[in-house]
Amino acid sequence: MTTLAFAILLAACMVAYALNRRAATGIRDGGQRLHSVSGYHGLFALLMILVPVLVVILLWLVLQGTVVNTLVMSSLPDGTLDGLGKGQVDLILAEIQSIAGGRIFGEPEPWKIVAADRFTGLLQAASLGLVLVTVLLSLAIMLFARGKVSADFRARQGVEKIISGLMIFCSVVAVFTTVGIVASLAFETVKFLKLVPLTEFLFGTSWEPQIPIRADQVAAEGAFGWLPVIVGTIVITIVAIVIAIPIGLLSAIYLNEFAPKVVRSVCKPILEVLAGVPTVVYGFFAILVVAPAIRSLGAAWGIDVAPNTALAAGGVMGIMLVPFISSFADDALSAVPGSLRDGALALGATRAETVMNVLFPAAIPGIVGGVLLAVSRAIGETMIVVMAAGLMANLTLNPLESVTTVTVQIVTLLIGDTSFDNPKTLAAFALGMMLFIVTLIINIFALRIVRKYREAYD
Amino acid sequence: MDDLRAINNDVESNATKISAKNVQVYYGDTHAIKDVNVEIKEHTVTAFIGPSGCGKSTFLRSINRMNDTIDICRVEGDIRIDGQDIYDRNIDPVQLRARVGMVFQKPNPFPKSIYDNIAYGPKIHGLAKTKADMDEIVEKSLRRGAIWNEVKDRLHAPGTGLSGGQQQRLCIARAIATEPDVLLMDEPCSALDPIATSQVEELIDQLRESYTVVIVTHSMQQAARVSQKTAFFHLGSLVEYGTTDDIFTNPKDSRTESYISGRIG
Repeated sequence: MTTLAFAILLAACMVAYALNRRAATGIRDGGQRLHSVSGYHGLFALLMILVPVLVVILLWLVLQGTVVNTLVMSSLPDGTLDGLGKGQVDLILAEIQSIAGGRIFGEPEPWKIVAADRFTGLLQAASLGLVLVTVLLSLAIMLFARGKVSADFRARQGVEKIISGLMIFCSVVAVFTTVGIVASLAFETVKFLKLVPLTEFLFGTSWEPQIPIRADQVAAEGAFGWLPVIVGTIVITIVAIVIAIPIGLLSAIYLNEFAPKVVRSVCKPILEVLAGVPTVVYGFFAILVVAPAIRSLGAAWGIDVAPNTALAAGGVMGIMLVPFISSFADDALSAVPGSLRDGALALGATRAETVMNVLFPAAIPGIVGGVLLAVSRAIGETMIVVMAAGLMANLTLNPLESVTTVTVQIVTLLIGDTSFDNPKTLAAFALGMMLFIVTLIINIFALRIVRKYREAYD
Repeated sequence: MDDLRAINNDVESNATKISAKNVQVYYGDTHAIKDVNVEIKEHTVTAFIGPSGCGKSTFLRSINRMNDTIDICRVEGDIRIDGQDIYDRNIDPVQLRARVGMVFQKPNPFPKSIYDNIAYGPKIHGLAKTKADMDEIVEKSLRRGAIWNEVKDRLHAPGTGLSGGQQQRLCIARAIATEPDVLLMDEPCSALDPIATSQVEELIDQLRESYTVVIVTHSMQQAARVSQKTAFFHLGSLVEYGTTDDIFTNPKDSRTESYISGRIG
């Protein structure tokens, strides 16, 4: 029945479009000058029907279940639900619903069967109502829109108003989603900070998020100092960036300025394939190839290397970021006007000098933008570090040791059967919040730098 | 202006600076320049005129080998500056371009300060040993570019902040700073307003004393105003070459006459 409602809506839209368009064309052919071309009259009718009816249908579908449930429960014989908790009421409702769906277990009480029949009837009535409402509303608006068609009617402005309203709605959705995400993080973080003091979380140097599961269990109290975790993230990010920036930038410069067409046409797609490799696969690469290689190299030189090193995870992450940085830098370099390149070459600058002194400074804002995104990705990257970095929170700056990262800890804290009233689980939200804040600060900072040092070329 | 006219008459006595023989330029399969022969005199402003797409810019760009930067472009024939074949294997285009400066259609100052714009060429060619040397070169070039008085108080402001005409004179000063013998100008005034145009034209006239100037222009009035010699290009061929007076008052080829009188192009 829902499908039928949507089909009716679609049909109504098309009919209204055709009707209004034809009517407007008729007026034009009658010799009058239309304010808006006839297509806009059609579009106006289409949007006038589509938007409100769609909203009504969606609201109906969302609310239908609740309304039907409430009606069924309130029609039960008096006194059936007296003295029952919320869980038991829900259980009765679920039983009624499954009887209505034809799944009967044992011998249900007769009142439940009556209620189930009522439930089925109400659902049918609801979907019938939906179709009816759709038809009536569509027809009413169609008539209204048809009546609007006249030579003077400003259909174009009407359409533009509706469309800009839709665009405002979409951007509001995006903004509110962000606000919602931050709010949910903040909410849980506050709960966490009630259990663990802020100073301990921010300045504690030990991260051991174990807590006793039962009250009588003998276990460590747990330590929630985030420093070792964030330091791990920073070490891995630095390793990744140190690898990704030179490789990415130089490959972009080579491909953009020096490479013959053939090389460029082969290398660019390959780089883009690199960007499409799932991070899980990079994780395999890190634990199966890179980590053992670093370990055996270290052994050959007599250096003690942990099996899960920050170097392996960060290095592979760096390779993951290469296409990112390189494609951003490539775009930025391509966007520099060719006249600047010509100007430098005509002064007798070599290609290398042209790139270093003229093109590169002009492309800096775009390049920094790419690097920033890469840093944000490195900080937020989860899969590679879950697989290749360790779980032990080690407060160290040595990339040859095993470290853990914020994202790894969030994953491990939330895996498995968790309840949301103990510091162990809530700590994940606090970490997420901090990650968000750190990334935000980096972004603001870098934007400032870019604005200060950019060499604008237009 | 009177003494300028006097120099005008001396054109024929000047030595040849650039000589081109049987020059062919191809863009891929397109034959853009067909068999051009021309002798360009020293300390002369030579104008290349002709309808759009006639190859005058292409020919100009082969004089400092800027066409080398275009993959599909191929130059054949013989172009000599001071008797030296510039397409010789021993010639480094980078050094050649320091000797043959170029100014482009659209002003293209680097997104750097006015000072750095001028200093860039001398810096990469190592023309200044000390900061004082460099300051001197910058001042001298800006004076020759007839823009010193307008920018001397803001040498460290960005060059992109100047007006269009100032930017173009800055670009001319930048080209001069590497001490070239030859200045190539590819429609240097087409993006400028009339006042800026007349300033740049005046400057071009002054530059003739120290440099050999070759200018591509769409405006026949401009060619008549600034040049002593004029070459008319049509469909990739050099149709007629002579003193500007002759070309404009007494063209020998009917195509030149049609173009001058506005019937083609």
